[in-house]
Amino acid sequence: MHMLRRDKKEEEDGGGNPFHNIEKSSVLQEARTFNESPINPRKCAHILTKVLYLINQGEQIGTTEATEAFFAMTKLFQAKDPILRRLVYLGIKEMSKIAQDVIIVTSSLMKDMTGREDQFRGPAIRALCSITDTTMLQSIERYMKQAIVDKVNAVSSAALVSSLHLSKCSQDVTKRWVNEAQEAVSSDNIMVQYHALGLLYHIRKYDRLAVTKLVTKFSKHSLKSPYAYCLLVRLCYCLLEILCFVYFIRTDSPMFDFIENCLRHKSEIVIYEAAHAIVNLKNTSAKELASAVPVLQLFCSSAKPTLRFAAIRTLNKVAMKHPAAVTACNLELENLITDSNRSIATLAITTLLKTGSESSIDRLMKQISSFMNEISDEFKIVVIQAIQSLCSKFPRKHPVLMNFLSSVLRDEGGFEYKKAIVDSIITIIEDNPEAKEAGLAHLCEFIEDCEHTVLATKILHLLGREGPRTPTPSKYIRFIYNRVILENAAVRAATVTALAKFGAHCEELLPSCIVLLERCLLDTDDEVRDRATFYVQTLKQQQKSLKSTYILNGLQVSVVGLERALHHYTMEPTETPFDVKSVPLETAPITDSKQVREPGEAGGQKTEKVAASRQDIYAEQLSSIPEFANLGNLFKSSSLPVQLTESETEYVVQCVKHTFSHYIVFQFDCSNTLNDQVLENVTVHMEPADGFQVLKCVPCASLPYNKPGTTYTLVHLPEDPTLVTGTFSCTLKFIVKDCDPNTGEPDDEGYEDEYVLEDVEVSVADHVQRVMKPNFGVSWEEVGLENELEDTYALSTMKTLEEAVQNIIKFMGMQPCERSDKVPEGKSSHTLYLAGVYRGGHDGLVRAKLALSDAGVTMQLTVRSTDPDVSEVMATAIG
Amino acid sequence: MGFLSRLAEIMGFKKKEANLLVIGLDNSGKTTIIDQLKPEDKRSRDVAPTVGFTVDRFKNNSLQFTAFDMSGQGRYRNLWEHYFKNCDGIIFVLDSSDKLRMAVAKDELDQALKHEDIMKRRIPILFFANKMDLRESMTSVRCSMVMELEKSIRDKPWHICSSNAKTGEGLHEGFEWLTDTLKSMLNDK
Ligand SMILES: Nc1nc2c(ncn2[C@@H]2O[C@H](COP(=O)(O)OP(=O)(O)O)[C@@H](O)[C@H]2O)c(=O)[nH]1
Ligand SMILES: [Mg+2]
Repeated sequence: MHMLRRDKKEEEDGGGNPFHNIEKSSVLQEARTFNESPINPRKCAHILTKVLYLINQGEQIGTTEATEAFFAMTKLFQAKDPILRRLVYLGIKEMSKIAQDVIIVTSSLMKDMTGREDQFRGPAIRALCSITDTTMLQSIERYMKQAIVDKVNAVSSAALVSSLHLSKCSQDVTKRWVNEAQEAVSSDNIMVQYHALGLLYHIRKYDRLAVTKLVTKFSKHSLKSPYAYCLLVRLCYCLLEILCFVYFIRTDSPMFDFIENCLRHKSEIVIYEAAHAIVNLKNTSAKELASAVPVLQLFCSSAKPTLRFAAIRTLNKVAMKHPAAVTACNLELENLITDSNRSIATLAITTLLKTGSESSIDRLMKQISSFMNEISDEFKIVVIQAIQSLCSKFPRKHPVLMNFLSSVLRDEGGFEYKKAIVDSIITIIEDNPEAKEAGLAHLCEFIEDCEHTVLATKILHLLGREGPRTPTPSKYIRFIYNRVILENAAVRAATVTALAKFGAHCEELLPSCIVLLERCLLDTDDEVRDRATFYVQTLKQQQKSLKSTYILNGLQVSVVGLERALHHYTMEPTETPFDVKSVPLETAPITDSKQVREPGEAGGQKTEKVAASRQDIYAEQLSSIPEFANLGNLFKSSSLPVQLTESETEYVVQCVKHTFSHYIVFQFDCSNTLNDQVLENVTVHMEPADGFQVLKCVPCASLPYNKPGTTYTLVHLPEDPTLVTGTFSCTLKFIVKDCDPNTGEPDDEGYEDEYVLEDVEVSVADHVQRVMKPNFGVSWEEVGLENELEDTYALSTMKTLEEAVQNIIKFMGMQPCERSDKVPEGKSSHTLYLAGVYRGGHDGLVRAKLALSDAGVTMQLTVRSTDPDVSEVMATAIG
Repeated sequence: MGFLSRLAEIMGFKKKEANLLVIGLDNSGKTTIIDQLKPEDKRSRDVAPTVGFTVDRFKNNSLQFTAFDMSGQGRYRNLWEHYFKNCDGIIFVLDSSDKLRMAVAKDELDQALKHEDIMKRRIPILFFANKMDLRESMTSVRCSMVMELEKSIRDKPWHICSSNAKTGEGLHEGFEWLTDTLKSMLNDK
């Protein structure tokens, strides 16, 4: 009776979860019951379930405790009860990573794996593979091979999937199971076939050629399993993307034909997978799309919600890339707006928002507002992202959109959701000067009651940058200063920095900002105090250059580069102070997605890891080549590789330029597309331009068919500081050896040959690194008139201001500031602000005043720099 | 059901089951012995070295045995102790032809006897001087002298007999003793 009542109460508390209030230590205590004999299977099963529940809830169990529980659990092998035994298998898998000496169950599992109980065999294999390390693997190899080809499908599948997991760390052993896996591919069972194909792929996945062969082979086979087809489609997709990425080409390939054929497969998942692959391919042509979109369109009106969901989700993802293809489905999308499944409805509406016309926005926004509260955060984020892209497409709609965003900002929601909203508002503010004040006001209101430190610091950073330049900066001070009183240390530190920026930028606010900052001098947190002290001292100096360098424009170095330079500095004791100019500058991260830039402002609070940029990766690679050990720090790597060959030629070569303070390293990435040749000792011979001097070539020892290789050429820059550009004619030189196309085995004898490449240009942009000056005006004043050069040009080939702006940025290789790369609609004049650092560490700033006239664009170009030569070089870049 | 078994406990425990722990150096024949005790159709023909342990159940003289057959390889010997706690009897298998490692076997036995889960309990220990068929094998008496069984085991019943696990010779005698000892101990409780 007593028990009954307690159960009932528990149920009420835990909303029906019987494990609602179990506790780790008592469960582990209970696990000692496993040691008792005879075993009580029901009781033990219940306790073991609790242990599993705890582990799956993320409860941390210490090694000693886990080992004790594990050994107790091994006693349960004496019970024959099938439920208990299968729980034991699960327990072994879960504890294999936390307990010690888990190999103690090896023989017991091997016995079950080869035993008579079919229902034990598969799970025993899975458990066995989870406790086996590379040293033990040999002893179970024979049994694994047998299991892969076992006639019981569940056993075969378990062995295949376990082998796949094992192959992640024991490639060498699993490689020897290829024959068994081949045999399993021809199984009649769709799962076994799929798993076998998966294993074959995993064994070969690092060898692109082998994967290509695998795919080619099985795309001709008639496989039975739709899952296997899906896997093949995915592999084809990846291979096509790699081809496209490496060679910038996509020829009509049998792999694409295969995907297209799958559009006519009898199984829906295969059809979907094929359509999904085609619309996601980077270089899909309109014609190719035309074959895939109707399939998705059809699925949109399917009776099955999963198909509708899959189709609309795919269309939603590609809506921005292929708007025309998606608008073809508008009728279906309109029908989905009222779909009873809210996820489908949300995706439909946001897809329409992305592709629709300006006039439909109000209607769709109303629709979505009606059920915004009913959908999960994940889909709310989809909505917010759609709104964000709308803002850049229809800038005039920002009042409606901003209103919507500010109202949802007040609603309940998790971090990711709030972050998406804040990011969207920030994007709107940055794109739309007119939306700025309204947006900042919403954000001010939000930080008054914001539980997410990351968001609060981000907004404070934004306020510090944008607030001082609004017509009434003083109104933000109150919101900002409130944070000092109410928030945690990280937010207070960000607040102090924001206040300092107001003081540095606005003369009239300086005295009050200093007063406010002085109140922070006794803060309990070190970081807050240090920042306040630093800013108060700097502001009191009343010097423009100090304010610009240390408060408004900050440090612009690559964090990874700074870390490396500091580490290097500490390795060798030296008297000379650390030179910040030697640190590589911050460059854009590898992802080219359009994201809001956010320099690491809130000290230490950034949750995302600092990503190594493309340049950081190049620097790492170059420094490992002995010939380049003494070149100094890498200053700049050119962003996009330049093609030096036509596509579809025998050899494909592309070039990346790496600029050091006195040298340029030309990196040539080559591939050989002839399967009956191996190239050896491959170099690129460069005919130098005036003043340049070729020092060295680092050859690529061997260039077999389809395996890209790299050769480098090192060039010394001219001594004359104004001589920086030139054209190099290039020739690929190598030794050819004929080889057997099947084995790749080359002949012993080869002959020398060469191949003429396109010229390589070195331009001013190669000597300049982009740098963001958040406050351009202040930097402009700071550098001053000393080395100013000014000239006027007629850019007769440019037809629009936008075109002129894009070209100037490209020529100069500099960073547009103050969002001046965006030309407001309908204007006939525009000023572009560019900032950069010249090789050697001198700042260079450019102001280009552009005016549209009948004869093209006229430009007044003004260059300022801390070095006269730099001004001269930059001023001639356009000419 | 829980109630009934509790009742059985209170009424004087007549358990017809016993847990055995089978230990001894690797290659001494533990797994072969256990295999030999199973009905003919359930035996496995080739015995691979044990990795960790296996559990087997078999009947002998109306007593149901659960045997934990432990691996004797060095790497696993210190894991035996996890299974000391609730065993009702120990079978210690010696390779009577392996004179060289008799000292190692003695060492392992002494370790086990010193363990707190064994030391305080009056559990029977059955020794098999296995591989009696090999020419260089020692007699059971000789084995017990080399192992100094008389001296090391004072407060527990023990017995040693020669065996050939491949034919089953001697196993019956050993188990007769073990079953009788266990039964009388259970009745004494
Ligand atoms: N000649 C002989 N060989 C035996 C005897 N008992 C076991 N063996 C062999 O000894 C080897 C090891 O046996 P095994 O049972 O695996 O030893 P364990 O490591 O103690 O489990 C196997 O090759 C058996 O065939 C025996 O009584 N006589
Ligand atoms: Mg064994």
